[in-house]
Amino acid sequence: MVFIIKLLSSIISGMNQVFKRRMTFRYPDQRLFIEGDGYKYDPKTGIGINGYRGRHILYLEKCTGCSLCVMMCQGISQAIEMKNLPNKQITVNKKSMFPQIDYSKCVYCGFCVDACPFEALFETNEYELVSYDRESLLFTPEQLAIPPKKRPEPTVNLKYGDSDVYHG
Amino acid sequence: MSKLSLSVGPQHPGSGHMRIILTLSGDYIIEAIPDPGYVHRGEEKLAEYRNYIQNIPHLERPVVLDATGAIFPYVLAVEDLMNIIVPERAQFIRVIMAELNRIISHLYYMAIYGIFMGHSTMFMWPVGDREVFIDLANTIAGQRVTYAFLVPGGVRNDMPEKVKEQADKACNYFEKRLIEYEHIFMNNPLFEKRTKGVGILPKQDAIRLGVVGPTLRASGIKSDVRKDDTYSIYNQLDFEIPVSNACDSWSRAWIHMEEMRQSMSIIKQCLKRIPTGPVKLNLKQIKVPPGESYSRVEAARGSLSYYLISDGGKVPYRVRIMTPSFRNLITIPYIMKGVMLADMPPTYWGIDYWPVEADR
Amino acid sequence: MSKIQTFSSFVKRLIIIIVGLLITLTLLFSLLAYFVPSVKELQDILLSSFGNPSLMLNYLDQKGLGLNSLFFKVVVFPGFTWAALIAAEIIWFERKFLAKMQMRVGPLYAGKIAGLLQPIADVIKLVFKEIIAPSSSDKWFFLSIPIIITSIAAALLAVLPVSEGWIIMRSDVSVLIIFALVGFVPIAVLLGGWASNSKYPFIGALRGLHQMIAFEIPMLISTLGVVLLTGTLDLVNIVYAQSNIWFILLMPIGAFVFFTCMIIELERIPFDLPEAESEIASGYLTEYTSMAFGNLQLGVYIRFYAMAGVFTTMFLGGWYGPQILPNGFEIANQVIWFTIKTLLVMILAIVLRGVNPRVRIDLLLRMGWSSLLILSFVNLFLVILILQTELSQIFGV
Repeated sequence: MVFIIKLLSSIISGMNQVFKRRMTFRYPDQRLFIEGDGYKYDPKTGIGINGYRGRHILYLEKCTGCSLCVMMCQGISQAIEMKNLPNKQITVNKKSMFPQIDYSKCVYCGFCVDACPFEALFETNEYELVSYDRESLLFTPEQLAIPPKKRPEPTVNLKYGDSDVYHG
Repeated sequence: MSKLSLSVGPQHPGSGHMRIILTLSGDYIIEAIPDPGYVHRGEEKLAEYRNYIQNIPHLERPVVLDATGAIFPYVLAVEDLMNIIVPERAQFIRVIMAELNRIISHLYYMAIYGIFMGHSTMFMWPVGDREVFIDLANTIAGQRVTYAFLVPGGVRNDMPEKVKEQADKACNYFEKRLIEYEHIFMNNPLFEKRTKGVGILPKQDAIRLGVVGPTLRASGIKSDVRKDDTYSIYNQLDFEIPVSNACDSWSRAWIHMEEMRQSMSIIKQCLKRIPTGPVKLNLKQIKVPPGESYSRVEAARGSLSYYLISDGGKVPYRVRIMTPSFRNLITIPYIMKGVMLADMPPTYWGIDYWPVEADR
Repeated sequence: MSKIQTFSSFVKRLIIIIVGLLITLTLLFSLLAYFVPSVKELQDILLSSFGNPSLMLNYLDQKGLGLNSLFFKVVVFPGFTWAALIAAEIIWFERKFLAKMQMRVGPLYAGKIAGLLQPIADVIKLVFKEIIAPSSSDKWFFLSIPIIITSIAAALLAVLPVSEGWIIMRSDVSVLIIFALVGFVPIAVLLGGWASNSKYPFIGALRGLHQMIAFEIPMLISTLGVVLLTGTLDLVNIVYAQSNIWFILLMPIGAFVFFTCMIIELERIPFDLPEAESEIASGYLTEYTSMAFGNLQLGVYIRFYAMAGVFTTMFLGGWYGPQILPNGFEIANQVIWFTIKTLLVMILAIVLRGVNPRVRIDLLLRMGWSSLLILSFVNLFLVILILQTELSQIFGV
């Protein structure tokens, strides 16, 4: 008898879920909205500024080519290397060396952003970096300097209903 | 009856990244020998070639679900050697992240328990609810799974203001969901018949074999590193430790559910009491003097400990990691005796064995 | 692969090809020659049926293919096409319903509205894969098991009364036919597992045999209750006897036992031990690929529909129901009520799949031989009580 009561209560609990909203969202038609601008770092206080860690953005005017980001990544995943760009003449960068990032190796830890003392390398919240071959994942410094694309509408957020949770 | 030797090997939907060699007599298991080592990557040796900050993304990868639980003891050991004191706000944020990771890891445990029982609804519900907590961790730390958030000296960035409100909503929603889990899974008569009395580990055996974590608490011993050997600010918080005297698989699942409730209450207390202030010491460089130190933390699966020897250089001399899954591996030949073949995957998953963590 | 190519083997293969071609062509031409005697007649029929379609129906009636013939009943209406359509729709419904219970969307993109053509897309994908038989297995035996299982499932459809005139074969011993066919399926499962010559299918097949021992006797005894009350073994007469009151109200315990045994026999969750995915890697289905696998799944779902139809006939009153269509459409009304009741039984089985884990084999055997057997005997005594006292007159049985 107790058996039947417990079985019925599990059936009722399962059927309750049928009348609530679905939690998933349909990916290419709806995209997830991430607030904010991305992860940044303030070298004077030594504390980072909260944000999502996605693709990097490089400010070419501020980068002096000191290679501290390369030295930091040598022990993590060796994804950054310096590249010579002869036709970019910037006053602070005498040898015209800028970082290039290989996204097939990057683990998005953000320690390169922490290492830069000139506020030249930050991270944005763009995470859709898929491609069909390995070579196009190697982002040159000019490609890194392009600001991120705005996420196409419609975007969804996690919302809390009365007793269910859904993306809307 | 004649004996059948079966290898529940790495290519099997009911085993992890390891192999268990079973000897069956009919449908009962007589002998079970685990064969780990398929995922060994030499993490401890690789840690000797990276400096103290570069080790952080490296050492949190084996324990991928519970990343804060893997880095917390390392950071405590380094700070112990450097003799620095971390600001209060950073300690509260560390505890919030550790308890969030505990909930995330336990939800994954319930999901895989369901799928090993053949209950596909119990797989989908915890994994869907885990999204709520991963979103919360994303708001605080910047990534969803492996955060690299704790550094020697504090945490990397500050929490935004909306975390309090989001955490309140998440905890309210999840407390209602735990009641639903009890109706559909824990109190389901078929689940109770399958797991009560199966995979028994008596109290004396648990003490003799040196078991840690929820497995130890399910055998009737009230022991938790957060209360026995307090670290960080746990002595200012008010929580209980669930213990059960029935040493079977059902009580191990029940302890995981109760621990999730306690974790939510800890998070609410921390968010009420958190002071303002800086979150990181502004250290010019991480210079660790020679010496050795040992630190221990209650991760989601048990007690994780680090033994760090430094000789004053840039890289550590020796990092020794002791994970809870490796400590619990010794129980597999003991709890599998007399269990039927159909109950083998739930029994070994019940002790929360994660092969990648055990092999490092 | 490296057979020695001699002249005698070449001659042997040539003879096989020629003989095969001759037999196929003879069969095809004789089939055509029976239905279409001459080209001129074919021309007449086609031209005239454009203007007057009833002539086409008359012609088909003459040849034995018309609307009231056995051919139509077997192939189209209560036979194979109808069952296959319902099986495909139940696969779609099961996936969508389980997905809604599990907080997600099921099939979505195949077919314009909500993934309705997903089962057909699955079948087309399965057709294009390669049929592999393991090299150490008994090849022809291994590949003939899906055909056997599907044929048994389709043969169960022959005695199901969908409405008053539409039954493929009405015989005096329908209930015995059903139990004979139902009892053969676990043996076919055992043969399939043995013919695969590998450890996991073997374990799954043995479990299938244990399951058969658990469910067969309670199922027989609960059916005995129905047979005692009506006095016949004919399914159509059992439906006629429920014109005043449905049997599920007279014997609820018997209906519960029969429903549980039905789910055990169909090997659905919570009793899908021969095919337990997380423990023994798909059980007896492990080595089946492509269309052999597709055939097995079709057989499983057609058997699901057939057994749900048997449950409706014996306990839920068959085709009886209030008249919701206008007068003159009685047969359509009966068909609609039969289909609605069968679908409700299938939906209940799907809900049970969503909320329960799997049982273990010793718990199943214990449940079958202690609880279910005792309940079915209690049911039998209650039925005898109803027969011996005045209650049978009150209920009009």
